[in-house]
Amino acid sequence: MTHTTILSWVTFIYFAAFVFYLFRTVFGKTFWGRLATMTAWVGLAVQSCALVWRWKLSYDLGIGHIPLSNLYESMVFFAWSIVFLYLILEWKAANRVPGAFVIPVAFLAMAYASIAPGVDNNIQPLIPALQSNWLTSHVVTCFLGYASFTLAFGSGLIYFIHPLVPADKDSPDNRSACLPSPDTLDTLIYQGVVLGFVFLSMGILTGSVWAHFAWGSYWSWDPKETWSLITWIIYAIMLHARLVRGWRGKRMAVMAVIGFASVLFTYLGVNYLPGLHSYLNA
Amino acid sequence: MPKKTNPVRAFFSSVKLTIVLMILIALLAVGGTFLPQQQEAGDFLHRLPPAAAEWLLRLQLLDIYHSTVFYLLMSLLSLNLIVCSLNRFPSAWKKIRAPGFPVPEGLFPSAGVEQTFNVKEGKDTVVSRLESLARKRWGSVDRQETERGVFLFAQKGRFAHLGVYVVHVSILIIILGAVVGSLFGFEAYVTIDEGQAVQEVELKGGRGIRQLDFAVRCDKFTLEFHENGAPKTYRSDLSFLKDGKVIRQGALLVNHPLSFETIRFYQSSYGMSEDNKAHLSFSRNGVRQQPELVLTEGDVFELPGSQAKGTVLRVEENIMEMGPAVKLLISSPRGDVQFWVFRHIEEIKQMNPGLLNEMPLFNPALFKPYEFSLTRVEQKYSTGLQVVRDPGVPLVAGGGILLIAGLMMTFWMSHRRFWIWIFSDGEGASIHIIGMSNRNPAAFEKEIRNLHAAVRKAMTI
Repeated sequence: MTHTTILSWVTFIYFAAFVFYLFRTVFGKTFWGRLATMTAWVGLAVQSCALVWRWKLSYDLGIGHIPLSNLYESMVFFAWSIVFLYLILEWKAANRVPGAFVIPVAFLAMAYASIAPGVDNNIQPLIPALQSNWLTSHVVTCFLGYASFTLAFGSGLIYFIHPLVPADKDSPDNRSACLPSPDTLDTLIYQGVVLGFVFLSMGILTGSVWAHFAWGSYWSWDPKETWSLITWIIYAIMLHARLVRGWRGKRMAVMAVIGFASVLFTYLGVNYLPGLHSYLNA
Repeated sequence: MPKKTNPVRAFFSSVKLTIVLMILIALLAVGGTFLPQQQEAGDFLHRLPPAAAEWLLRLQLLDIYHSTVFYLLMSLLSLNLIVCSLNRFPSAWKKIRAPGFPVPEGLFPSAGVEQTFNVKEGKDTVVSRLESLARKRWGSVDRQETERGVFLFAQKGRFAHLGVYVVHVSILIIILGAVVGSLFGFEAYVTIDEGQAVQEVELKGGRGIRQLDFAVRCDKFTLEFHENGAPKTYRSDLSFLKDGKVIRQGALLVNHPLSFETIRFYQSSYGMSEDNKAHLSFSRNGVRQQPELVLTEGDVFELPGSQAKGTVLRVEENIMEMGPAVKLLISSPRGDVQFWVFRHIEEIKQMNPGLLNEMPLFNPALFKPYEFSLTRVEQKYSTGLQVVRDPGVPLVAGGGILLIAGLMMTFWMSHRRFWIWIFSDGEGASIHIIGMSNRNPAAFEKEIRNLHAAVRKAMTI
């Protein structure tokens, strides 16, 4: 048994959690919600152990480094961040519905890491550019940011589903009761975006400090840098629209989806453009 | 009377303009990631029809981040930020300075989260107890005695109103830092062979040559690999010289730049130098002479005990599939001789008996009484250094820290104000508490509940 096998089990645990969250949303039974939350916590615990194992293993191989250095490790950490932040949010906000929309992103990230061709799950030694103390702070802040934007995206999706679900106020078994109210969703989107915006700002700044030491310039308009700035601008527009021009509800939900698309392009799409950050030519 | 608004000022202070500018900047930035930029544009241009290429160049689309349009948008955004902030700052300052007294009209009863307690203690006891409780919670408390009773006022986080301005100022500082860097700094590149010293560096983008006030010498370049073949270390041992004297030495690694005077050096690339290094030794009458010589093509060396001089004509890593070899020219009063010294001369002799008689050129002992041997031929490297001076860096770094601080103030600090109204009610007293917060009502409600519990604990209800 290896830690990568355990990580592929985690993929299935998150899938199960997703299915339970979906049952909770569709059938409205608390039982499914509790089961979903429990499953997600188990998945997070197992994943954390596997990550620590991988970390230790890299030291046993004599090439010790935190498992945040290649596409596989970043995908796994992305999934971890999503579930971690989601469970904290669920615990604080006492609302389980976004789970059905957020957990599948973590599941997809894990599945992509496990099965996509070209994703190497071996522990690789660090090339000179990655041998920096800034690696950890840069990757952790960026992915916590991406995960927060994922929460906003998941809550935004529910917003679009709302009108599709018949609201029957007299029936106790009414489905839209299972969905959070539009106001709650609006708050969830806003909080996710704010948290993500602060983390993304930190990620860009730690990245430029690192670039200052590694590449000799804190900003070189590398496609990944540029796309992180584009993403930052999109969320900055969203926050100004809300705080100054009073955008709420559906418009914010649309922006959360656009912002998330930009996050995905910053993370993955950019690898197909030439540049310093590319995982592909590493 | 409403103030006359200047239409230019109104235009630059609008958030609509900010949003439009941000959208345009983002779109240009997107373009820059899809169109090849600067140096990379060369090949791309050649594959385009000339007319299209000319248009792309004219629109500066192949150097978007340094184009007039981009600079214009950034200037407009800066102006917009300045005007917007100046326009809005006075009202924020008013909120920061707003006194708790006189109690805002209509605050009591019930303009916010209000709670009333009737307690058995007399008014004065209540006031002193609540005052000390408030002081413990919030640091300082204002007090006002009126005919209606005593009012206490406390607040915290009033500088939350400044958060937005801190963010905007930080962005202006970062932009300023970038401008300072591009005006007063430079970025250059230099390739130095091992053993060589340079004083001139080549400015980026073909902007010419820059003379440094000192010389940089690459003493050694080291390349190490991981077991899987991936690079592990690129390291240049550098010496900085002034007037031919070494002032400082240091190891330059990726992620560990070296600074000398105001200029920073970065390990950027490496190359194989055309010169190889030969490790050559020789013996005289069968007695080995020390030490081993490390020579490259063109080097001249003395042969002790004779008037002869040796010159290295060629250093080859693998010549005629016979391995490493050097070609030497020995000049002496007896005349010149040339011959090859092979690393694997013993094996070559075994495979071709009689070779040395047929081809004296292959005999390492051709110049008597000396015999040469080649220990190894080593690749000589050159190191590629990025040479940078950027006086804008402290501004950008300061702006970055300020940005994070400002964002945290903006989103997570809130201005919370509390008023407590105490008046006599029969034997005891009546307490009214009102709190107001400029953001995050959920957390504020929790805090107010907490406050009520503390008040209840301090009183007999």
